[in-house]
Amino acid sequence: MKLKATIEHKPNIPTASMADIAFLLIIFFMLTITFEVDKTQVTLPKTTLRYEIPKQSAYVSIDPNGRIRVSDGTEQSALVSAADEVLSMAAGVIAMDPQKVFVVKSHGDVDWLKVDEVIDALKRAKVRDVYLLSDQVTVDDL
Amino acid sequence: MRLDRDRPDDEIPTSSMADIAFLLIVFFMVTTTFTATRGLDFALPEDDDDPPVVEKEESVLVEIMPNGELIVDQDPMLLHEIIPYLKPKLERNPKKPVIIRPDIATPYKFMVQVYDELRQWEDYGLEQPINISVPTQREIQSFWY
Repeated sequence: MKLKATIEHKPNIPTASMADIAFLLIIFFMLTITFEVDKTQVTLPKTTLRYEIPKQSAYVSIDPNGRIRVSDGTEQSALVSAADEVLSMAAGVIAMDPQKVFVVKSHGDVDWLKVDEVIDALKRAKVRDVYLLSDQVTVDDL
Repeated sequence: MRLDRDRPDDEIPTSSMADIAFLLIVFFMVTTTFTATRGLDFALPEDDDDPPVVEKEESVLVEIMPNGELIVDQDPMLLHEIIPYLKPKLERNPKKPVIIRPDIATPYKFMVQVYDELRQWEDYGLEQPINISVPTQREIQSFWY
């Protein structure tokens, strides 16, 4: 009787689609990445309505101690000593781009007076579009 | 006689492609930060040195106390009671200004809560957005009477 030669299967992991998966992940990250210009740690107020903030917006942040940081949307935020400096920065940004959107990123427990000073500075700098950065209201908050 | 010809390899070398791809993935994973990129839009009116005079009785004043208590036209009110109170007034005059005036010591989050509530006019069956105004302290000192 003639016996068939045993076929040896070499163990291998199929890696043909690995590059496809890798590039899919790269595309996902490239589309979703936003370089954060302001890293101030704050607890944002919660709202039901929330709209997407345009990219490259300028930021004014107020931390829990009332310290104000500003960023024109391209560079990392820098500490300023008073709201008047927000006015000069915002006026400079608006002179370059009158349609520039500003984002107020403030800790929820900061006194209204502090935020009021910032909003007043933005008004005087002729800023038109401001977004109040917020978190989503959840069922637990109601 | 058999000639041993060296045939050039016509394949594109792709062995390092996965390495490059994963290097890029690692870069994006390290630099990506999932942050809040949403918020309430808050259009600012033009800073006018000579604003139009609005008669006091024509507007509705929503005061926010430092403890979050709301006083609407001198009466204490809960957050979800504001629009039902405003609705008949706004149906008569949709342009009636609603002025939000937080105390200077009121936490910012209470002002945002009220502003968020007033922006949800559609949920209460109103046909037009509410004409909301949030005067700053400078404007109050300059123009309030």
